[in-house]
Amino acid sequence: MPENENLTDVIKLISDIRHGKVFNSYEIALRTEQLLEKLISEGQWNNARELMQQIKDKIRQVSQSLPLEATATNIMRHILKVIREEFDLGSEKKAEGQSLHQIVTGDQSDELDYSESHGNLRNRLLDHLTEYKVELETSTENIAAQALEHIHTNEIILTVGISNTVEKFLKHAAKQRKFQVIVVEAAPLYRGHKMAASLANSNIQTTVIPDSGVFAMMSRVNKVIIGTHSVMADGGLRAASGVHAIALAAKHYSVPVMVLSHMYKLTPTYVCSHEKDTFNMCASPANVIPYSTGPLLNKITVYNPIFDYVPPELVTLFISHQGGNAPSYVYRLLSELYHPDDYEL
Amino acid sequence: MDKGKQTNAPSKGGKVDGDGLTKKERRALKVQEKNKQHPPDNKKDSQNAPAMKTEPAKPANVPPGQLSEKELRRLEWEKKLAEQKPKPEKSENDNISKAELKARRREQQEAQRLAKQQQQKPPEKAAEVKKAAPSPKKVEKKKVSDSRRLQIVSHLYSDASFSNASVYKNVHPAFVRLGVQYSTKKILGSNARARALLAAVKCLINDLQTPPKQEFCRYLETVLQTCMDYLQLCRPLAVSMTNALRHFKTKLHQVECLEDNVKKEKLLEEIETYVAEEIDKAGEAISLKVNEKISNGDVILTYGCSSLVTKILKDAHLAGKQFKVVVIDGRPLLEGRTMLQRLVQIGINCTYVQMNAVSYVMNQATKLLLGAHALLTNGYVMSRIGTAQVALVAQAFSKPVLVCCETYKFSEQVLTDSFVYNELGDPEMLFTANTLDESSPLVTSKNDNLQILNLLYDVTPPDLITAVVTELAILPCTSAPVVLRIKP
Repeated sequence: MPENENLTDVIKLISDIRHGKVFNSYEIALRTEQLLEKLISEGQWNNARELMQQIKDKIRQVSQSLPLEATATNIMRHILKVIREEFDLGSEKKAEGQSLHQIVTGDQSDELDYSESHGNLRNRLLDHLTEYKVELETSTENIAAQALEHIHTNEIILTVGISNTVEKFLKHAAKQRKFQVIVVEAAPLYRGHKMAASLANSNIQTTVIPDSGVFAMMSRVNKVIIGTHSVMADGGLRAASGVHAIALAAKHYSVPVMVLSHMYKLTPTYVCSHEKDTFNMCASPANVIPYSTGPLLNKITVYNPIFDYVPPELVTLFISHQGGNAPSYVYRLLSELYHPDDYEL
Repeated sequence: MDKGKQTNAPSKGGKVDGDGLTKKERRALKVQEKNKQHPPDNKKDSQNAPAMKTEPAKPANVPPGQLSEKELRRLEWEKKLAEQKPKPEKSENDNISKAELKARRREQQEAQRLAKQQQQKPPEKAAEVKKAAPSPKKVEKKKVSDSRRLQIVSHLYSDASFSNASVYKNVHPAFVRLGVQYSTKKILGSNARARALLAAVKCLINDLQTPPKQEFCRYLETVLQTCMDYLQLCRPLAVSMTNALRHFKTKLHQVECLEDNVKKEKLLEEIETYVAEEIDKAGEAISLKVNEKISNGDVILTYGCSSLVTKILKDAHLAGKQFKVVVIDGRPLLEGRTMLQRLVQIGINCTYVQMNAVSYVMNQATKLLLGAHALLTNGYVMSRIGTAQVALVAQAFSKPVLVCCETYKFSEQVLTDSFVYNELGDPEMLFTANTLDESSPLVTSKNDNLQILNLLYDVTPPDLITAVVTELAILPCTSAPVVLRIKP
């Protein structure tokens, strides 16, 4: 079955993600991109429609298996849009571009027929993908390069847990400016410890505080800079658990919250409810209360949620490699990234 | 060593609450030893050592050598710590000369050693050794942490550590023990601390011998002051302790023109009344008030471990109400586990989460019950670190936040941030993550840029709190000054 064959690489990716072999979103993004590059260059497709269908299958496969995984599907969605664009450029019909009349009347009759074949679509797509890959690879540096626009001397910055992007961002700023960082340890995984040790090694004044100390410290903080798992369509965040409380504390003290986010973290879905399975999941409670606690464990319920939803009103700014944007502008970024037809698959 | 002491220990358990027993014994034993060296004039001990073979002896007139005696006592205490052994045993030693005493003691020790070998009571001994151990360790720890200091709170670091504690010569053994218990956080929570303090004061009153030509109350006050200075060194005083002590001092001034014995009786009585009224009865009254607000089907969130909240939930459970409790816990003290244990024991349906899941569980909550360290005049609530955070999230989810606080914890202080007046915990507590396999990278990192801040308290602004439940009424936080005004 050719279809199954096409999916084997996706299944491999899914299992790697599930088993934690690829952990951070950047690696997932690169893996997904490679997967698509392979599909485009070597896959069996004759026209854009077939290719898009294959990618859509993959997206469905991923979102079914890993409903919480946003990066992989987002990248694939973006590639769908890229295919549409390249196709549009290649097609004679669209050569003159959309006229105002067409936009106003919303004339759908002459919708593109993606089954037409273009000789050089494959090559142009591969060119585009190479460009995109470079964009992915430099995204973190591009974000970090903006650090000096946001961090001034002697500032106190609070961050939570660990994030590669935030780490690079702060280290970049530390090359030229002196400032302090407060790292929230982010129990029960204590990733903040690692972050703090790494920052301190780069000669940044770092202070570790427990999660409970956030409110007390917030009055001293100038900026909260965090990473996120993904950005929802309303501009809210799906971030590590505990971030909501921190964002609330920042709001209480009117401290700006900056979210460093790669473009592939923008997700065209909305949050309906916190408890919905598609939004959150709970990890093993062994980290919250050790098994050694004994028989007590039989009688209690323990939760160890992984994500928090942070509503857009608590976020001040998104910083991507294109620059800063307010949460209210996320809708526009989304429509630049993805084709509206691909939001729901 | 002192088998006598060990066997006595359980029998005294009822007398003083909590850990008081060993404290008392120690004190009693020390007093005895004192008496050995300065044979006492008369002996009438002593509330606390009924099981002792002989009742030693508190001299009615303390000999002029009081100071040196105390020094001796202290030296002994230190020696004990060093040896990690409880005290050398001494009892049955009245009216005997020093030499005799020594000989006798040796005999006893020998005999008891033998007895011990036969009886084999290792667990008790182990427990004692453990109790004596923490203070020397602590000293080392503090020195290590000195290199990592945070500037914002540099005023909170105390240079005086336990090693300086030896400066205090007149410290009653009950207080020495109390100090260790405070600083090792064996006694945690402001109610427990206030109770323990008052119990220690009771011991002190019982044992105190007014030196000639001194007035009992004055003398008591000076001695008490030294003891409090010492305690302050071990751990800054809790508001509840300061308030209880202030109350005691006013009473002290009121009993002046009486005979010493009568005064003692009276003061002891005063302390008992204070504990009964301000802590026990107040707790009951608050429990009644909160119970009116708990209904079937409630999901009650609580943070950390508060003796009062535990009592309230217990009462509600015993009243047959069906409700669930979510215990939120905060690092590094993880008091919530104690709370969880207590609640599960009495059969309450519990959920346990850490601080990171506050937003996750807040949705299902119907109300929050929080304990408090103190209620400040400006309506801010001072409580264990993290309380403000929980209250903030509750407000974001529009859940009512009830703070339970006895009026004796109301304070004249005003605070608006958590830095000016706070307490620092041991930063190394953050290293330990008992749920992780690998050790934290903080342990290995010896970088001077890396600091760890472990505040013990925070202040919650009044706008995050729906109401404060006191034994007088359910009040808004801002009524704190009113309560302070009407309180005697």
